[in-house]
Amino acid sequence: MTTTKELWENALVELELTISRPNFNTWFRDTHITRFEEGVVYLGVPSQFARDWLSSKFHKDILRSLRVLSESVRNVEYVISRGPKRTEEPRTVPPPVTELPLEPVHARTNLNPRFTFNNLVVGPFNELANAAAQAVVRKPGIAYNPLLVYGPTGLGKTHLVQAIGNHFRLQAPDRKVYYVTSEKFSMDYVSALQEGGGKITSFKEKYRQYDLLIMDDVQFLAGRDKIKEEFFHLFNYLHDNNKQLVFSSDQHPNVIQNLEDRIKSRLSAGMIVSVTPPDHQSRLAIVRAKASAHNFILADEVLEYLATTIAGNVRELEGALNTLLCQFEMRGTPLSLADAKTLLRGSGATQKKAVSVQEVVKTIANFYGVEEGSIYEKTRRKEVVRPRQVIMFLLREDFRISFPTIGEKLGGRDHTTVIHSCDKIKNDLRQDSILSNELHQIRLMLK
Amino acid sequence: MKFETTTDQLLQGVTTAARFVERRANLPVLAAILITADGNRIILRATNLECGVEISVPGKVSVDGTVAVPGGVLAGFLSNARGKSVLVELKGELLKLHTERAEASIKTIPHQDFPVLPRVPATNSFGLKAQDFVKAIRGVAYCASMSAVKPELQSVLLWAEGAKLTAVATDSFRLAEKTVALRKGGSIPQLLVPARNAAELMRILEGVAGDVEIYYSENQISTQTDSTYYTSRLLDGAFPNYKQILPKSFSTEAVVLREDFGGALKSLSIFADKFAQVSLSIEPAKKAILLSSRNPDVGEQTSTVKATVSGDGAAMSFNGRYLADSLQSINGDSVRLSSNGPGKAMLIKDASDDSFLYLAMPMNR
Repeated sequence: MTTTKELWENALVELELTISRPNFNTWFRDTHITRFEEGVVYLGVPSQFARDWLSSKFHKDILRSLRVLSESVRNVEYVISRGPKRTEEPRTVPPPVTELPLEPVHARTNLNPRFTFNNLVVGPFNELANAAAQAVVRKPGIAYNPLLVYGPTGLGKTHLVQAIGNHFRLQAPDRKVYYVTSEKFSMDYVSALQEGGGKITSFKEKYRQYDLLIMDDVQFLAGRDKIKEEFFHLFNYLHDNNKQLVFSSDQHPNVIQNLEDRIKSRLSAGMIVSVTPPDHQSRLAIVRAKASAHNFILADEVLEYLATTIAGNVRELEGALNTLLCQFEMRGTPLSLADAKTLLRGSGATQKKAVSVQEVVKTIANFYGVEEGSIYEKTRRKEVVRPRQVIMFLLREDFRISFPTIGEKLGGRDHTTVIHSCDKIKNDLRQDSILSNELHQIRLMLK
Repeated sequence: MKFETTTDQLLQGVTTAARFVERRANLPVLAAILITADGNRIILRATNLECGVEISVPGKVSVDGTVAVPGGVLAGFLSNARGKSVLVELKGELLKLHTERAEASIKTIPHQDFPVLPRVPATNSFGLKAQDFVKAIRGVAYCASMSAVKPELQSVLLWAEGAKLTAVATDSFRLAEKTVALRKGGSIPQLLVPARNAAELMRILEGVAGDVEIYYSENQISTQTDSTYYTSRLLDGAFPNYKQILPKSFSTEAVVLREDFGGALKSLSIFADKFAQVSLSIEPAKKAILLSSRNPDVGEQTSTVKATVSGDGAAMSFNGRYLADSLQSINGDSVRLSSNGPGKAMLIKDASDDSFLYLAMPMNR
């Protein structure tokens, strides 16, 4: 069995003998076989000029020469395709002007090719999400449909969902992938509505043609009735036809406000995975990976410093790293730990802010709408007990105050009461998504 | 084949067509203009397989026919011809031309190999004022890359949303974007027109008053004016997502008079080094921009341009030519320079017109 490349090369040798040299050089340069299916050879040609000309003038010659070589060839179709990419010629002189950071975006899929599985740092914080994504790529439409990835901002949700798209695109180039943010989806819908006419139909058709649809930040769909309805129908159509759907959101769908149950239940129908802020080891791995992607060598102690001081958000971590990178480029000398410390003092690398117990109590009491004073009292009314437990939990978890101190500050309670409260909230958090959402909001208010 | 037509009109058609012939082509017929006399019109065709043109010239045809003659020869002869009319006649393998004072016979080329110009189906199109389209392309085309490493940057990007056509070009050191209003068609997907072809399209539309309709398909773009059909291939590729690199907020903004700024840049270019480096310092205290250039072999110059400045001061270096280039697309009296300090791109705009923007990257020294 010869490859299509050999087949075409042999055919070209044949053709060269029957066609005049100028004609051959003009029309057959840059042609190649893109695929060979069921007896039809799809011939990639560089332009419409070539397609029209080859199919009207040389079709018989091409078909005959291919037939001689392979009897299974029944027909030849012409497609316009640029063919294998030329390798980039190395630039001799580095340009004195900085280049614009132009990221190529794949037009048909709207995916950014920078986001792949290869450059995704996997740690305990996103292990499950990563495994689910890999499963989706292996069995699109079957394994987990829809796949929903949720978690706070800056933890690589977009990276992960785009990696699915990029991988799928390479794996099955003839299947259609599309990445869209829910905001762009809404805009598309609104502009289709405004233009009227056949635009609504073409909007529907556009989104229904995809084999894999990735929608980022679905929480923004909340509160827009018409768009939610359109989304609902699109979801049903794609899902019924076993097309893979991938979503990302910053919250669990059940706690997104202003979202109908029918949409919530659909979003939850497949697999829901969360990404959590990375642990220290993962952060270290991320910084290392990002630095080496820029060919930027940092001392281990600086890496360690970055991973320790900038907790949580990966985007902030990247920002801090970029600050160092920029300095490094300007100075041209390696950065010491002291340098890094001075450089990052003003930026996102702030230490945990000290918040007084009173302030926490006040915020949380306000949040739950209970009297601030009642928290300190010895009352066991239900509406006070829960907020009090939340306060204890947060003081312990986020501010690392000791159990006895917490007890003492909150109206002279025993430290065992505090331990019990913390355990209770911790246990409830596992099942109660409303509670976890409340905690999320409170934490935002305390920042 | 035999026809008679006015020298002027034939010359005009032939000079336009001659721009499309490919002199160094493998296929000799591509160096030719194909002349077809048919009924009462004469059609000139030329193509370099990248783009092609078809021009009809009115005339009196006595015998129909088709012939291919070298474009350069025909254009050269006609441009020096005198007299009102020219008589063209095919005799054997020679094309005879009679003008008032001269007669020429040009050797023809077998025309059977002349390719067909692709036609673009009328399903997808947009319409706008021809002069607006010319403005959009002229405003950006000079920013397209010369290097073949990234073909998508060797082209002009056209796209539209909300009845506004946007043209963009960049060579990754600077970027220009121009927006014009559409008359017909609200949104257009990204079309990548090779920059050279876009320039030809612009030249064809330069003389057209009123509206023009542009047709496009996945691989081809075309337009038809009263006398001319033009078509070009489209590039199959993806233009970088440039929107995300346009800065949204600035630490420094300065407004200068276009004439002052342009004059200063012109005179600084005399002293600039081989990288055309011009240092630019925005001084809020002095209400001015200080510009300087220096070439160890020639000397140095500093100029002060009065400016209204808001925000912090900033000092950076640019390729002076890149700065000067932006001014050709700015028609207003004053120019707004917005920057985020050293190492960051500077945004140049017409202070009174939002339809054009220009982003220039600084030098990294």
